Amino acid sequence: MFRIEVDRARFREIVRGRIRQDLRKYLANSELIAKQGEHAVSVPIPQIELPHFRFGENPKSGVGQGPGEKGEAVGQEDGEAGGEGAAGDHEGSHILEVEVELDELAEMLGRELELPNIQPRGKREISTDGGRYNGVRRSGPDSLRHMRRTFKAALLRTVAANEWDPNDPKIVPIREDQRYRARKSAPVPDSSAVIFHMMDVSGSMGREQKEIVRIEAFWIDTWLRSQYQNLEVVYIVHDAVAKIVDQNAFFHLRESGGTKISSAYELALKLIQERYRPEDWNIYPFHYSDGDNWSARDTERCVALLKDELLPRCNQFCYGQVKSAYGSGQFKKDLDEVLGSDERLVTSSVADRGDIAAAIRQFLGKGR
Amino acid sequence: MQSARRRKSSLTPELALWAERIEKVARGYELDFREVVFELLDSKDVNGIAAYGGFPVRYPSWRFGMEFERLDKGYEYGLSKIYELVINNDPVIAYLVKSNSLLEQKLVMAHVFGHADFFAHNCWFAASDRHMLETMGRHSTAVRRMVDRHGLERVETFMDQALSLENLLDPYLPLREHLAQAKPLARAKLPTYDLLGFLVERAPLDDWQREILRIVRAEAYYFQPQRMTKIMNEGWASFWHSRILTESVLDASEIVDFADCHSGATARAPGRVNPYKLGIELFRYAEELGHDIFALRRRHNDASLIDELVDETFIEREQLFLYGKNARSSRVEVTDRDWRKVKNRLLADLAWGGLPQIELIAVDADGKGELVLLHHHDGRDLQLGHARETLLRVAALWKGPVHLSTREENEGRLLLCDGKDVEVREVQAPAANDEQSGEH
Repeated sequence: MFRIEVDRARFREIVRGRIRQDLRKYLANSELIAKQGEHAVSVPIPQIELPHFRFGENPKSGVGQGPGEKGEAVGQEDGEAGGEGAAGDHEGSHILEVEVELDELAEMLGRELELPNIQPRGKREISTDGGRYNGVRRSGPDSLRHMRRTFKAALLRTVAANEWDPNDPKIVPIREDQRYRARKSAPVPDSSAVIFHMMDVSGSMGREQKEIVRIEAFWIDTWLRSQYQNLEVVYIVHDAVAKIVDQNAFFHLRESGGTKISSAYELALKLIQERYRPEDWNIYPFHYSDGDNWSARDTERCVALLKDELLPRCNQFCYGQVKSAYGSGQFKKDLDEVLGSDERLVTSSVADRGDIAAAIRQFLGKGR
Repeated sequence: MQSARRRKSSLTPELALWAERIEKVARGYELDFREVVFELLDSKDVNGIAAYGGFPVRYPSWRFGMEFERLDKGYEYGLSKIYELVINNDPVIAYLVKSNSLLEQKLVMAHVFGHADFFAHNCWFAASDRHMLETMGRHSTAVRRMVDRHGLERVETFMDQALSLENLLDPYLPLREHLAQAKPLARAKLPTYDLLGFLVERAPLDDWQREILRIVRAEAYYFQPQRMTKIMNEGWASFWHSRILTESVLDASEIVDFADCHSGATARAPGRVNPYKLGIELFRYAEELGHDIFALRRRHNDASLIDELVDETFIEREQLFLYGKNARSSRVEVTDRDWRKVKNRLLADLAWGGLPQIELIAVDADGKGELVLLHHHDGRDLQLGHARETLLRVAALWKGPVHLSTREENEGRLLLCDGKDVEVREVQAPAANDEQSGEH
């Protein structure tokens, strides 16, 4: 390829610099989430344009071609179809999307928030089948025959038997020379983690509150994904009862009604007991709510669940309280009062998007 | 003889044969051009070359990388595809995309011969560097050497500053110099539109910086005629590919595919003018009216050709209209179909090579070494955010204050840049008045 790849690499380097520079902005912004692919995120960046003297776009007009009476709408290719909001300010209308690997994004996040790498809990090295053909054995299917090794074995045998003739260097492998590729199982340290995102979707959690949860969850996922090879995410929503939902529903569901936080904790516990045994999994429950539990008795129940059941099984339990117009925020106080000394519990409160970065740092800053 | 000359080409034998046939047909229509070398490449490589403005080798810059990213993504998502690239050089180099069908290749080859004829005979190209391939290569080597010596960051920063000024030139200067047999870069005299040329001569720069500015200027002037003749050039090439193919190259079974392909390229996009479409219709109209189209393609640029040909019949036939934003509904709609207004708007958009007309009218008028720039306002405002940034870059190169007079919604504006900041002052009288500027 031409030198263009070098220029592209330089361009991407500049872009990464930009993203790093503006990471705080992205941290408070849901832009990235919609662009998430399996391994990468498209980050929309305003085209890093060189300034020139050029014409502005006011008034937006020009020459077109086609039928249509005076007053008829013109279809614009770069259409502002559906574009609402204040007019003007078309600056940066050239948005360029640049793919950034999730790992790289996590690394930027880690550096920006000075997050420590996670120390795996306990020493669990689970021997799993490495699954790679990196061994050799003497029997196997022809399709896996290792020609070079077979030839070598045959050569060795021929020479050892003093049958090798330099003038007629013919090597004929026999049955016992055959070598085959084989899978060799190697102990691979297992690093699986599960995240429980539990969200209060009772009437008091508004759209903005959910948006904050969504952004926080995105970054937490991104970080933990970079720390564990195998990450599963379970989404639980609750009002007075809890249920498992998919990612989409998690962010868009709007239930109403009372709040019984214990319902979510019970469901998470049940899942841990059934599917995500702590011996095999690093467990990260996150719970987001505006802190308005239904009754003091249910809060007591939550505290008991945490203390006796959840905390001993988890790497860390995080509670994020999102301020809403209606919530009293009592729940965080209650947790801090009773369990505040337990370092496996981390609580944070977020008043608006600006606090997201700090909350993430609180949650992930311990390296647990 | 022909085949020996085309030995550098990477065409398949079948395509080479067609190239030869189509060339013969084209010359039969009295198209006259320098040797054309075809290169067959896959689309990724063509995108790479397109990102460099048609040249396989340019100086290093992230801007080209950005353009490549855009083209490559566009191709990947099926949004855009480049069929062909031609560069004005001797020999003319044309890149064909491997994945094109045979019919598409034939169309593209005929199209390329049209461009080649245009390059050779349009007067605006008379002064252009026909060894640009080598020149670009030299520029690339020079810049790479500077990067080795002065470091990427420094060279890149300066290059970016210089590139911000790349449209501060006089589109008519090369032809003027060519006709007057004047030495290029004769001592910059005021007033001038060739701010780049002025800075190359007079700005207090290190040698390597001056060299970069010179390179940026040379390349900007090389590309300028193509901007001024975009509609004509594409129109001419489309006119001839259509005629050559339908009259002399295709057999009946290919006509439908040709029509499909041709109409794709010359489709009208609502709300904008397709230069291929407008251009081909201009030449067809001229032929109908009995003009000598070969003379037209020699003498004109887009603006002057439209000025000469476009009348009520043409505007009506081509359904050209003016559009604008309806303040009440804030949607874009057809505002007028009056042919004079449409024509005037077309001319205004194309005048001065489509660039804002910015003139350097004085240096050091009040003893502080400042550059005084005047924007000749034609009804279209400058984008002031960009203007500020650009002024800062002019000031950085000049290492002194820079002033710019312009207008915003018919109010006079004076932008004063001291090198660090830009102050915008409201001034009473319309700042730009063409009659006055000549007196400086």
